[in-house]
Amino acid sequence: MRWEKRCLDMNCPKIDFHIHTVISDGTDTLPVLLDKVREAGIEIFSVTDHDAVKAASALPQLRQQGDPVFLPGVEFSCRDEAGKYHILGYGYDPESESIRSAVDYGHSLRMKKVTARLDYLREHFGFDFPPGELSQILSLDNPGKPHIANLMVKLGYSKTKEEAIAEYINKVRIGGPSYLRPEQAIDAILGAGGIPVLAHPFYGDGDQLILGDEMKARLETLSGFGLRGVEAFYSGFTVRLIRQMLSFAEHFGFYVTAGSDYHGKNKMIALGDTGLDQTLDYPEGLLRFLRDTADRTR
Amino acid sequence: MEPITISLSGRIDSNNAAAVEQDITEKLASAENAAVVLDAENLEYISSAGLRVILRLKKSHPDLRISNVRTEVYDILDMTGFTEMMPVEKAYRVVSVEGCEEIGRGANGTIYRIDQDNVVKVYNNADALADIQHEREVAKLALILGIPTAISYDVVRVGESYGSVFELLNARSFSHILASQPEKLDWCVREYVEMLRKIHGTLVPAGKLPDVKETALDWARFLKDYLPKEAGDKLVSLVEAVPHDDHMIHGDYHTKNLELQNDEVLLIDMDTLAVGNPIFELASMFNALQGYSEYDHEVILKFQGFDFETGKTFWRKSLAAYLETNCEAKLQEVENKARVLGYTRMIRRSIRRGGLETPEGKKEIEFWKERLLSLLEKTDTLVFSRNELEIEAATERLPDVQSFIGERLEKVDCPFKAQMQIGVAVEEIFVNIAHYAYAPDKGCATVRVEVNEAPVSVSITFIDHGVPYDPLKKDDPDVALPADAREIGGLGIFMTKKLMDDVAYEYRDGQNILTLRKNL
Repeated sequence: MRWEKRCLDMNCPKIDFHIHTVISDGTDTLPVLLDKVREAGIEIFSVTDHDAVKAASALPQLRQQGDPVFLPGVEFSCRDEAGKYHILGYGYDPESESIRSAVDYGHSLRMKKVTARLDYLREHFGFDFPPGELSQILSLDNPGKPHIANLMVKLGYSKTKEEAIAEYINKVRIGGPSYLRPEQAIDAILGAGGIPVLAHPFYGDGDQLILGDEMKARLETLSGFGLRGVEAFYSGFTVRLIRQMLSFAEHFGFYVTAGSDYHGKNKMIALGDTGLDQTLDYPEGLLRFLRDTADRTR
Repeated sequence: MEPITISLSGRIDSNNAAAVEQDITEKLASAENAAVVLDAENLEYISSAGLRVILRLKKSHPDLRISNVRTEVYDILDMTGFTEMMPVEKAYRVVSVEGCEEIGRGANGTIYRIDQDNVVKVYNNADALADIQHEREVAKLALILGIPTAISYDVVRVGESYGSVFELLNARSFSHILASQPEKLDWCVREYVEMLRKIHGTLVPAGKLPDVKETALDWARFLKDYLPKEAGDKLVSLVEAVPHDDHMIHGDYHTKNLELQNDEVLLIDMDTLAVGNPIFELASMFNALQGYSEYDHEVILKFQGFDFETGKTFWRKSLAAYLETNCEAKLQEVENKARVLGYTRMIRRSIRRGGLETPEGKKEIEFWKERLLSLLEKTDTLVFSRNELEIEAATERLPDVQSFIGERLEKVDCPFKAQMQIGVAVEEIFVNIAHYAYAPDKGCATVRVEVNEAPVSVSITFIDHGVPYDPLKKDDPDVALPADAREIGGLGIFMTKKLMDDVAYEYRDGQNILTLRKNL
């Protein structure tokens, strides 16, 4: 059942368009996640693993009659001279060459970083990583700092994950391009018929604070690249930030989305906690997003 | 349940946010419903990862509060809207006023200059945070309503109390100017009165500021027990009879609370801002500039920095400018009303400070009490009007009446001939009242000058409480008869009727009310 009718009937469905699974750095597998989505009463959702589109084709096969509606998603980690960005993509064709090559490129950059980090840790700190553990990390869809950090804790090289990242992993400098540029991610999403949306805009790649004119300038640039929406409702935003982003969205004519950034046990974020209040009218940009992605759900 | 306090320290960013959150969760595991206070005294920096931890904590513990927040962290919490979502209390900078110049002093605090650009107002009471908040709010309101004032930008700890910090560049108080440049007295009067008019001309939306009359009623009721019954009752009823007024009152309008910053005059010390009748303001002005020092002339020198004579001159000139009159009788009338309230306040203050327990205090209180009682005898109302003169109905006061009316006619560009005619009529009526209304006793009369629009005319109204007498009832004299054949009297009122365009009489509420109208 397509959610379009349901959405129009009830106007304000419960949604969560920003969720991670084991495909990247979340802890839920797809079947476990689907169960939790059902349980949370979420009616439309998207899985947005970092630089990975596996869920876009895998999840629809798990869905049963009457299940929550699924919208294909992805979250690209990007960087350029002006800073770091997370760019979400929705409703793309998972088979499209455009998105595949971006994911592959993203994956190759990730592999390059992981390998470089492991090499550095070995050479400079003398850490020894057993081959079995190494190949397990390298076989992941989306290995990153947390995986290396966990391994270091497991091997007794560091007391905590945080210490491993701050004291060792972050010391590694990687040469050459190590991230997609935002315009590359946006092009890839648009090329696959998807909608590029800036994730948690005020927080950059998750830990910056970009406010006021700086935020506006960033949106102007990305809008020029073809950005179509902003994640104005986000579990980590205050009411004030949400209001500000909604007014930016109106100014730029952007779509509005809502996401929790749920990571399972890895972060203490509740599924469906997006800051969106179902008892209030949804903003026009969000209703438009729901309408315009209705025929891309699976 | 006691709130649980959790200390945050160092930096919270993506590297340790999860660990911090874990730590907090563990500490709160056994007390799910407790109010939580995050003590941020040692928190140096918080990134968005840290903000998210706080936001999640707020969702699970709605009573969350953050205290002791440093300025840098406070700014982040403020910009991101956290200060709207939960109570966030700043850590207060500690400021010492040791050796700082005192530039102002009000009922609730003292203002010191802490450096070239900044001043701090230190509150008298230790629990001043609510007062500071109040003053901030009323100062903002005043600014919105068009009164130039400084708004505090920071709250600091000063000794055992709190202070609010203002930017005040290069500013000098009017007290300072009067003390060091006596030749600027007239300029000060002009600016002082212009600001006063602006304040009193400002309508305040209902409920935004307290009513000064309530405060004055407290003074009067307090004093009642210390006065002879009749005088005490009269004092209370005089205050009660002052009509409500929604215009702004500063409440402590003296020369230390007016600052000249570059070329701009700024009003400071806004915590006494209220609404009410201007007489209450004049009373506190009288006290600050003259009243407090009437018993001991040295008081003003200590407080304002200028001497008693300067204070008295400044008060009188300001009152004249404010009332737009140089008529001594009018000035005396309004000053006496202000003194009734002023002495009331001073006596109460002395008594509350234990004045009755020392011989010197007693003497001082007696000094003011004697003045208050004598004023109460001749005061019927505390209300005044710029266009009304209350005066003793005696022929020797005629020049005062004439000069008061003359000033008002000048203001409306009344033609000379009409002024002369009005003068003749006024003399006739006022002398009549002086001779007959209260004879053989004495009494008062009120003279009111009004300008009417259609037709453009001036009305002069005489009111007395004497024996009912309608001068219009008397037949007009037969002016055709030779002088010695005419009846004595009656010619004056006849002339008045001829010179004026209308003369009307009524007797109402025990008052003779006679109105002259002259078209212009």
